[in-house]
Amino acid sequence: MSSVFSQSAAVISMNIRSLPRRLWMSLAMVLASAVVVAILLAFLAMAKGFESTMQSAGANDVAFIIRGGSAAELNSVLGRDQVNLLENAPGIAKDEQGPIVSAELYVIVDGKKRSSGTKANLPLRGLDLRGVNMRKNFALEQGRMFTPGTNEVIVGAGVLRQFSGFDLGSEIRSGRNSWKVVGVFSTGGNVFESEIWADAKVVQNLYNRGSSYQSMRAQLEPNADIQAIKDYVKNDPRLNQDVQTEADYFSEQGKSLSYIAIFGRIISTIMALGALAGALNTMYTSVSDRAKEIATLRAIGFSHMSAFIGTLAEAMVLAALGGLFGVIAAYLFFDGMNASTLGGSFTQVVFSFNLTTELITQGAILALIIGFFSGVFPAWRAAKTPVIVAFQSSH
Amino acid sequence: MNDNNIFELKQVEKSFNKGKESISIFEELNMNIKQGEFLAIMGPSGSGKTTLLNLLGGVDQPTGGEVWFDDARIDSLNEGQLAKWRANNIGFIFQFYNLMPMLNAARNVELPLLLTNLSGSERDKRVATALELVGLADRAKHMPSEMSGGQQQRVAIARAIVSDPKLLLCDEPTGDLDRKTADEILEMLQLLNREFGKTIVMVTHDPSAAKYATHTVHLDKGQFVPEEA
Amino acid sequence: MNDFYLIVKNLTRKKMRLVLTSFAIFIAFLIFGSVMALNNALNSGVEMSADNRLVVTNKINFTQPLPIAYVSKVKSVEGVKDVTYANWFGGYYQEPANQVITMAVDPDSYFDVYSELILEPGVKERWQKHRTGILVGERMAQAKNWKVGDRIPVSSNIFSQKSGGHTWEFDIDGIFKGQDKQTDTNYMVFHHKYFMETQAWGGDYVGWMIFTTTDSALNEQVAKVVDERFANSAAETETKTEKAFNKAFIEQIGNIGLIIFAVVFMAFFIILVVVGNTMVLAIRERTGEIAVLKTLGFSSKRIFNMVLAESCLLSFLGGVLGMLAATIIVKGASAELASFLPNLILGQSVWLQGLAYMLLFGLITGIIPAVSALRLNIITAFNRI
Repeated sequence: MSSVFSQSAAVISMNIRSLPRRLWMSLAMVLASAVVVAILLAFLAMAKGFESTMQSAGANDVAFIIRGGSAAELNSVLGRDQVNLLENAPGIAKDEQGPIVSAELYVIVDGKKRSSGTKANLPLRGLDLRGVNMRKNFALEQGRMFTPGTNEVIVGAGVLRQFSGFDLGSEIRSGRNSWKVVGVFSTGGNVFESEIWADAKVVQNLYNRGSSYQSMRAQLEPNADIQAIKDYVKNDPRLNQDVQTEADYFSEQGKSLSYIAIFGRIISTIMALGALAGALNTMYTSVSDRAKEIATLRAIGFSHMSAFIGTLAEAMVLAALGGLFGVIAAYLFFDGMNASTLGGSFTQVVFSFNLTTELITQGAILALIIGFFSGVFPAWRAAKTPVIVAFQSSH
Repeated sequence: MNDNNIFELKQVEKSFNKGKESISIFEELNMNIKQGEFLAIMGPSGSGKTTLLNLLGGVDQPTGGEVWFDDARIDSLNEGQLAKWRANNIGFIFQFYNLMPMLNAARNVELPLLLTNLSGSERDKRVATALELVGLADRAKHMPSEMSGGQQQRVAIARAIVSDPKLLLCDEPTGDLDRKTADEILEMLQLLNREFGKTIVMVTHDPSAAKYATHTVHLDKGQFVPEEA
Repeated sequence: MNDFYLIVKNLTRKKMRLVLTSFAIFIAFLIFGSVMALNNALNSGVEMSADNRLVVTNKINFTQPLPIAYVSKVKSVEGVKDVTYANWFGGYYQEPANQVITMAVDPDSYFDVYSELILEPGVKERWQKHRTGILVGERMAQAKNWKVGDRIPVSSNIFSQKSGGHTWEFDIDGIFKGQDKQTDTNYMVFHHKYFMETQAWGGDYVGWMIFTTTDSALNEQVAKVVDERFANSAAETETKTEKAFNKAFIEQIGNIGLIIFAVVFMAFFIILVVVGNTMVLAIRERTGEIAVLKTLGFSSKRIFNMVLAESCLLSFLGGVLGMLAATIIVKGASAELASFLPNLILGQSVWLQGLAYMLLFGLITGIIPAVSALRLNIITAFNRI
């Protein structure tokens, strides 16, 4: 066994030393592997970034209530009377001001993208201070909170990053209305940072919403079952709402970009096949290029196995090298890259590409798979090289 | 030019540039090759015999002097004209056969006919005749890799004669073959010379190969030398 | 035997290499074809826009409504030919996931403004008189297998009926077709008035207005006049050409789209670089044979052409198969994605681009070995083998 090992080591080192002779072919293989890995990681990091932006927004102990069948806040309507009824649902936590709930409005306004200068939909959320306090990671980064009853707004850090004209102190024109930015807030990188927040009553007034709302959040008592609220809604003929945890709602919304991950996986699988074809070409060429060397080694007593392992190792090393470059390229170009796109609610979601170690592992595995399959068949051919080749003329 | 001469070399010079150095192969080489001759050119390695063959075959051009073929000077032809001239007048036979590995024997033989305007049926007829002549009619569909060295060289001969050139140029045609096979090939060349009137120029370092020729010249250091005793 | 036979024999001499190389090219063009079709589908709204058609939306955002009274005001602006209006319905069929694009429109003017939509004679008049009638676009009718005379329930994820529930029943009065294949017909339209009378909140607003100008040269001027007329009113407007409106809508998807296309195109080119490298090396291996052909009297130009033809043939072999596969995939996917990407077609223009890239790729990978074959000196070549 140890002889197979030392023989293989000898063959591997010989192969590697002969690499410069096949420089272009070898580089092509490294490149192919690098590109496939980089592309896979680009797509996955994009989907991951979006998903975590959405998912981290939802809390498990907050019930999220919208009109039945409306699927998203934007489409929903809740009347004041319905909100009043819902406040009395069982399992909702209370404090000295009564049930901890937040009835909110969700209006789309225009923002101008910094990158392209084009207009895009931004959500303007109307809520009160109780609603603000329900967001656990909420922190004011600059300025102060809006004063209820005024046309003051606070904007999410993501909005500030991706859209122009929202700096502290600036005026935002929206139709005939004008808003004044008095604060910038963060919520730990989640989707709320893509929003503009204002006082709910003012939004109702300026957007002719009367006393209606669009969604309602309710803090659940510890260990409370959300099913109790669902049953409460079901049993009251005046109510027709969908009730779910906020976490469930946002995880569903986060899936709206999951097609990117699927698309990315499909594209990179197909590309991996293409790269594999290129890599196999490289390795077959490498084997026929070294046929005489391999046969000579076999003639002086090296085993089949060492020829096999030597060739396989060459392929794995080249593909792994490519995978490494691919990961580095993906990290340099994509990790932390800011992007914004249309989310499930027809509004812009600002997020960053997120290249997690888990994704990097996936990329590395892909590179090794390419290496293995591009090496194993040519290695088989190398192992089968007849010894007689060593004694034949090059013609 | 003497009507009997197929080739006339007049004061031919040939030198190569190797780096800054100029290496002279021939200085003032004169030579006549007669129609119907089977000429063996012998000489040690580096004597210039292959260069001479290249000059005769129009694959190389002299640095000076004149090369006459029939009534035309070929040393002043450009590359395209030379290619056409080779296709019309010369059949080549190489040491390592140089068959196209992806073509079968018949297709290999047919290759030079692509340079003519012959019809398909006429080409097939000629290929069949040529293969028959070299005794390989039954191997027409075989690939080069499926044939022995001697058989491959016979295919190469068929290829050389299929377009009926006046002159066959052979570069060590038996260099890669065993004695018996070599004799068969040489007999075949002799037959082509005697029965079909082909002029043959053969470069060889094998004295027993040279015995099949009608004439033998010895080349050393770029000059013809009298035969050693 | 002819030159073509020789080229094919050269190409097929190493079956494994041929298969691997053409497979890689196949993959590259499969991706190219599919992604180009996807890209065109996303931009088809922009491409198909009429140049004299403009869209008026609420200045706050296009999801905000406009008073219905604006319609007649716009009509009176000089240079305006026809005006119509529409409202988003948020429709779905049976399941919320099964979205069907449905709009409440003005039956009298809609088809004047969208003149590229074609109806059988008499259908429009019948529908105009039929309050609960709906006209379905050809592509949607095909996808859903609906016929004239069918009664279909359409639900809304935004609106509810006065009588409760979210579902409206409509009678299909007719199917409208597009003037050309790319015209979007994956939607349906019903009476705006009926919508306003039956939906819970009522009201007299419209979602947006669309009008045509008498001359597209007037677009800018008319848009300005319209927006000025409603300046400082309760609902200010923003008027854009249909093209600009569609483009802005696409751009909402943002740099994500750009990143995806950039990444995929980089991939396409790099696959070709990798394969091209192999092809160049493959032909270089044949130096000796090329020298023999030259010796036999084949002219350099002829060999040059043969080498180029071989690499082009290989390029087209993999490429055309890849584009064919892409066409089939796109065809399959277009049925699946009809509601999401109505114009997913791998059309002539993508094919032409693909063929051009194949030719280019064949020439580039062929030119290096072809030139070296052209220049090949027979004597040095023989010394090398």
